[in-house]
Amino acid sequence: MHQSERRFAMAITMPALLVLLLTTTFPLGYLIWSSFQTLNLAMPFLDGFAGFSNYVEMWGDSRYWHAMQLTGIYTVSSVTLQVVIGLGLALLVMQIPRAQWVFRIVAILPIVLAPVVVGLFWRTLMLAPNFGMVDFLVQWLGFEQINWLGEPIPALISVIAIHTWQWTPFAFLVFLASLASLPGDVFEAARIDKANAFQRFWHLTLPLIRPAIIIVIIMRAMISLAAFAAIFAATGGGPGTATEILNLYAFKTSFVELNFGYGSALAVSLLIITMAVSAMLFRLRTARTVKPQ
Amino acid sequence: MMNIHQRASARRNALLMTAATVLLLIWVFPLLWATVVSLKSESEVLAYPPNLIFKPVFQNYQDAIFGDFSILDSLLTSVIVATTTTLLTIVLAVPAAYAFARLKLPARRTLGFYTLATQMVPPVGLVIPYFLILNKLQWLDTYQGMIVVYLTFSLPFAIWLLVSYMEDIPFEMEEAALLDKASRLQTMWYVIIPQVRGGIAVTVIFVFLNAWNEFLFAVQLGGNTVRPVTVAMYNFVSVEQTLWAKLAAAALVAMLPVVIIGIAAQKQIVKGLTVGAVKGGGRR
Repeated sequence: MHQSERRFAMAITMPALLVLLLTTTFPLGYLIWSSFQTLNLAMPFLDGFAGFSNYVEMWGDSRYWHAMQLTGIYTVSSVTLQVVIGLGLALLVMQIPRAQWVFRIVAILPIVLAPVVVGLFWRTLMLAPNFGMVDFLVQWLGFEQINWLGEPIPALISVIAIHTWQWTPFAFLVFLASLASLPGDVFEAARIDKANAFQRFWHLTLPLIRPAIIIVIIMRAMISLAAFAAIFAATGGGPGTATEILNLYAFKTSFVELNFGYGSALAVSLLIITMAVSAMLFRLRTARTVKPQ
Repeated sequence: MMNIHQRASARRNALLMTAATVLLLIWVFPLLWATVVSLKSESEVLAYPPNLIFKPVFQNYQDAIFGDFSILDSLLTSVIVATTTTLLTIVLAVPAAYAFARLKLPARRTLGFYTLATQMVPPVGLVIPYFLILNKLQWLDTYQGMIVVYLTFSLPFAIWLLVSYMEDIPFEMEEAALLDKASRLQTMWYVIIPQVRGGIAVTVIFVFLNAWNEFLFAVQLGGNTVRPVTVAMYNFVSVEQTLWAKLAAAALVAMLPVVIIGIAAQKQIVKGLTVGAVKGGGRR
């Protein structure tokens, strides 16, 4: 009986696993292999085994370290903003007795839009000088005009804001669902014990939704690290390299400069970082929560 | 006494509503504004400060759909790619998820971890080798190439989402079916799959949305034959710098399917997000 169950289980899992092996693991192996090659489509006569030279070059490449730094800033700030604003808004909406569905519908909209379209909308309709609504608002409020996507610091702020705009609704919806599932009687008891709103939040709500917060952080951090289309559409990494996170640097090195060997090495370093961050965050998750089952 | 309380809470409610409405506006505004702009004529569009009172025209939509900048071909491409990806993903993922969730699968932990790990690969780490591989196979700018690549993100995601739905089915149902001498395949088909119809629907929605919205692979591995709407939108702006009203119209048409799905399936999407969030997994 067990023997046949195992065999059946293997048989129905095999197709999916084989496809995964072929479509993800094989290309990854190819990526790692090409990161040890000189592989330049513009200068194919130089192609050949390169040992660690791509990685050595990376170590001394200031543009790489700049991209790393930007990736860190982009990920940490956008994830923090999403969690803080998402949780704040969820707590706010929980207080509103009616029409919660309106918020749910509105929150779905940014989530279902293609990031590339979001980037384009912001680049044109919102931020373009003498056209965009944000530009108009800034001037109408009496501030000096800011070239949002044309200056390094405003451009970085803009791409972080765009990402936060698109994905905060995700955090909001998850927190709203998890707040709605909290046991009401505990809060009633706390109220009777005269705990004030802040105490209730800090000592009850926060610990109870901690697992949801950690999962949101994990999922959002992974997406931030993989972010590409919105930045590509809004700034293309510019001005200069002001918004060139590691993704864009690896992409441009490969597909603009046609230096696939070095581009692969950059992508491998991103892969390692992503794996390390996810391992760290997952440890955080299992460390203090009791696993069900 | 009662009155003061009531008034205070009324004021508090008003304040809450205002704060919430402002935040709501921030999220709908770009879409609303895109709609307004898409209805303006080219001369009206560039008026600054922007005017809100104008005679709406539908010329931009007509151009976006039928004109020189027609996105019809791209829409068709997106439909083909997203639909095929979704179908293949479901056919592969449902049995695998069943085995992961309910059967004595050898090396289950290792294989589960492997599936999760494949889901975390950053797309830029795949687009580089895929360009080289598809180039060798002469599969660049082909439907089969694009769909194979799309399986890389849809399949692991679908397996994980489906596993969390499958785990919730009571075991008795399966046991009863097996005692009745139903084969394992019959059990899966007649007992399990009907039970997780909801979960399959959620998975279909997510996979389709992700495939429809994908850009990085599409822009580099597609071309003139396979050019999904996301790439068409991008090309539009890089070629025609200032035809913003047409861009807005084209983008709204391109996003109409996902917006409709989003609103219609809002409950299922939230459920999918939170199932993923509670059990780990889920990716966009």
